[in-house]
Amino acid sequence: MKRDWRASIRYYWNVKVLGNAYLRWQRWRMERKGPPRRWRTDILAPPLKIGARTKELISRHYLEGRYANGHKPVAWVTSGAPVEILQALGYYVLYPENHGALCGARKVSVEISTEAENAGYSRDICSYARTDIGAMLSGKTPVGKLPKPDLLFACTNICQTVLFWYRVLAEHFKVPLIVIDTPFVYTSPQEYSIQYVKKQLENAVPIAEKVAGRKLSYKKLKQVMRYSRMAAELWLQVMERGKNRPAPISVFDQFIHMAPIVEMRGKPETVDFYAAMLREVDDRVKKGIGAVRNEQRRLLWDNLPIWYKLRELSEYLAERGVAVVASTYTMAWGELAPLIDPEKPFESMARTYIQPILNVGTGKKLEKMKRMIEEYHLDGAILHSDRSCKPYSIGQVDQRNRLIRDYGVPALLLEADHNDPRSYADEQARARLDAFIEMLY
Amino acid sequence: MLEIPGRKEICNKFREGGGRVAAVMPIHYPRELFRAFGVLPIEVWGPPGMDISHSAAHLQPYVCSMVHNMLAFLKTGGLDCADFIIVPHACDSLQGLGSLLVDFVRPPQPVFPLYMPRGRRPEDVEFFAQEFRKLYDWLSNLTGRRPSDEQLMESILMEERADKALAKLYDLRTEVSLSVRDFYRVVRTRQYFPAEEFVSFVERVIDEYSGNPPDGVPVIMSGIVPEPMEVLDEIQNLGGIVVGDDFACCGRRVYPAGSGEDPFIRMAWRIVHGPPDVTRGDLIEERFEHLMDKVKKTGAAGMIFYTVKFCEPELFDLPDMRRRLKEAGIPSVHVEVDINDPLSHQTITRIGAFLEVLI
Repeated sequence: MKRDWRASIRYYWNVKVLGNAYLRWQRWRMERKGPPRRWRTDILAPPLKIGARTKELISRHYLEGRYANGHKPVAWVTSGAPVEILQALGYYVLYPENHGALCGARKVSVEISTEAENAGYSRDICSYARTDIGAMLSGKTPVGKLPKPDLLFACTNICQTVLFWYRVLAEHFKVPLIVIDTPFVYTSPQEYSIQYVKKQLENAVPIAEKVAGRKLSYKKLKQVMRYSRMAAELWLQVMERGKNRPAPISVFDQFIHMAPIVEMRGKPETVDFYAAMLREVDDRVKKGIGAVRNEQRRLLWDNLPIWYKLRELSEYLAERGVAVVASTYTMAWGELAPLIDPEKPFESMARTYIQPILNVGTGKKLEKMKRMIEEYHLDGAILHSDRSCKPYSIGQVDQRNRLIRDYGVPALLLEADHNDPRSYADEQARARLDAFIEMLY
Repeated sequence: MLEIPGRKEICNKFREGGGRVAAVMPIHYPRELFRAFGVLPIEVWGPPGMDISHSAAHLQPYVCSMVHNMLAFLKTGGLDCADFIIVPHACDSLQGLGSLLVDFVRPPQPVFPLYMPRGRRPEDVEFFAQEFRKLYDWLSNLTGRRPSDEQLMESILMEERADKALAKLYDLRTEVSLSVRDFYRVVRTRQYFPAEEFVSFVERVIDEYSGNPPDGVPVIMSGIVPEPMEVLDEIQNLGGIVVGDDFACCGRRVYPAGSGEDPFIRMAWRIVHGPPDVTRGDLIEERFEHLMDKVKKTGAAGMIFYTVKFCEPELFDLPDMRRRLKEAGIPSVHVEVDINDPLSHQTITRIGAFLEVLI
C-alpha cells in the first residue's frame, strides 16, 4: 500500500477534527432528545440510550473508511474472520456483509443489488453479495463512499459463499486474497483441523504485513486479543440479561447493537461501548423495564435478521405481547469468548474461529436451540428460513419438527431473505405469524 | 447407441464378486482409497427426474435440484445397494446434506462427510491427507481390513492409469466417431466403473471408433453435470459438437499423476492439483486461463455455460468468465436448468440460436 501524506492530512482533518466533533455533537443531541416520533412507546420500552453511541461508533467507522485509502491499509473481511491480525497491523477493516445489512435496514438494498443483477449476477446468489457487488460496480452506498481494499480476507467459517464472492472481488480489485479455510465441524472439531487453521493464520501474516508495509507486533496482537475477548464477554452478558422476565432487551435491539462486536472487535472503544450498554441494561433489569411493555410470551429467533422488516416485525410481535428475547445469530459473537486466549493468539484464534454456529452441524445447532429455550424460559421459536443463507437454513425443517415433536416447543418456519425484500411476501408472512401466535396462547 | 452397462449392473456385478459399494456424492474424493479396501465407489449425480416431495420433507425449495435429488434418491431406496455413503464437501448445500444425513435422516448405511480444503497450498495437501487417514480408519473399522502402503500405492497407480486414459480420450475427441452423447456416456463411466475396467473399455472404444468424427461447430461446455443428457443430442442435431468440457462431473476431475511415497499425501496432492474448480477456491483468472487453453487446443468457437438453478459456485463466476471470454473473442451463452425438468424448447432454441451465430 502506498502512503500519501495528502491523504493523511485529509484523514486527520475530516475524521479526527471535523468528523469527531460533529459526531460527538450529534450524539449529545440524540441523548437529550426523547424517542423518535414514530417510536411505539405504547408497546415498546423507549429505545436504549446507548443507541446514540452506536450511531456515533458506526458513523465514525464509515467516515474513517471514506478517508482511509492512502492513509491506512484497507482490508475487506468476512464477518467471522479472525480480524485481530489485521487490527494489530493497523488496517482499516470493512465488512461488506455489515454494509449490506445497513443497506437492507435503510431499504436501499434492492436498488444496489439491481446494479449487480444488471451486470449478470443471478438473483439466486446471496443478497449480501449482490448488494456488495452492486455497490462495488456502481459506487452507490448510503454511507457516502466505501474505501478500495488493499487486501481481501475471507474466512469460510460462515459459508462457502464468501469464498466465491471474494474471488469476484479479487477479480475486480486485483488485490491479494487471503482465504482462511475452516473445515466444517460435523460432530466435533478434529485436532488436525485446528492445526490446519492455525497454519493458515500464521502463513497469512507475511502477506498481510507486506500489504500493510509493517511488521506484526505480537505485543499488540495480544492486546487486540484481550480487547476482543473483553468485548465478546460483555456482549454475551448483555444478551444473557434476556433471561430476566421481562427481558430488558429484545433481539431486535441486539440486531442493531451487534454492529460494533462484528465490525470493531479488538478495539478499546468497543469494550467501553459494551460496558456502558451492560450498565444500561442492568439498570433496566433493576427497574423492571421490559423491551416489550406487555411481555406475555417469549421467543427464540434463529438465523439472520430480516433487515428491511426489523421495525415492522418488532412492533407486530410487541402488539401481541410477544418478546423475542434470544437469538442463535447474535449469540455467535459472544459464546466463543472463553476460547480466546491472548497468550496463545494463533492457537486460540484457530479454536475460536472454527466453531461458530454457522460452521457446526445441524444437530449441534438443534442442541443449542434447545439449551437456549430452557435457559431463557422461551415459549416458542421463529426459524427464519433465509433464501440467501443456505448453511444457516438447511436443517431448519428437521430442527423445527424436532422442537415441536421431541421438546413440545411451538416453532415456525418463516420464509424470507435477509436483505432482499422481493423474496418476502407480507401477506403470507403475516398469516403464518398470526396462526403461530394464536398457538402460543 | 453404444452399449454401456449402467450403475446398477456394475454395482451388482461387483457385489457378486465379494466387493462392497460406496455411494459417493459430488465432487472430489480419493477413489483409490476405497478400492484398496475392496470397495467400489459409485457416484451419485442427482439422478435427474426424481420426485422431490421426498426431499422436501428436509430441504427448502431454494436448494438446488442436485442435492434435492440425491436425498430423494436415498429416501426412495435408490442407494439400498450401497454399503456406505460418502458426502464430500463442495458447497453449502452439500455441506447441509452431509450434516442432515449424519444428524437427522440417518440412513441405514454409515455416512462419512469428507471435507475438501480450499486451496493448493502445502497445508491444504497435508490437511486433505489427514482427512484421508481418518477415512482410512473409518473404512478399517467397517471392513476389518487394513491395506498396507504397498496395496494403497498399487490402487493409486491403477487410478492414475484410469485418469490418464480419460485424458487420452479427451485428447482424441475430434478423432473418434462417437456421437456427442455417446462420448459423454463413455466419459461418465469413470463415475462407476472400476478403474481397470474403465481403462480397457476406453482403449476398446478408441480402437473401435477411431476416424470419421462427427461434423459440427466446435463448442466447450461448462457447469456441473450435462443433465438431462438429451441436451447433448440436441447440440449435435443443431449442428454443434462438444469438443471439451469443464463439467464438475467430467473434465474437472482429470487429475494429474502424483509423486512421492506417502500414499495419503499422493492421493491428496492429485486432487488438490486437479484442473481449476470454483468449489476448490481457484481464482476466476485461473479458471479462465484453463478454459482458454482448452479453446486453443480444440479450436472451439464458443462456450456454453450449462448450470443448475441455485448453484451459487457456478453463478458467481459467470459474469466475469463471460466478460473475459468476450474480450478474448469467444462468444458464450448461459443456460440454466433444473435437472428434474425435461429439456425445454426454450433451452433448445437458445442453444440453437447461439450455434447459428457461431456457424
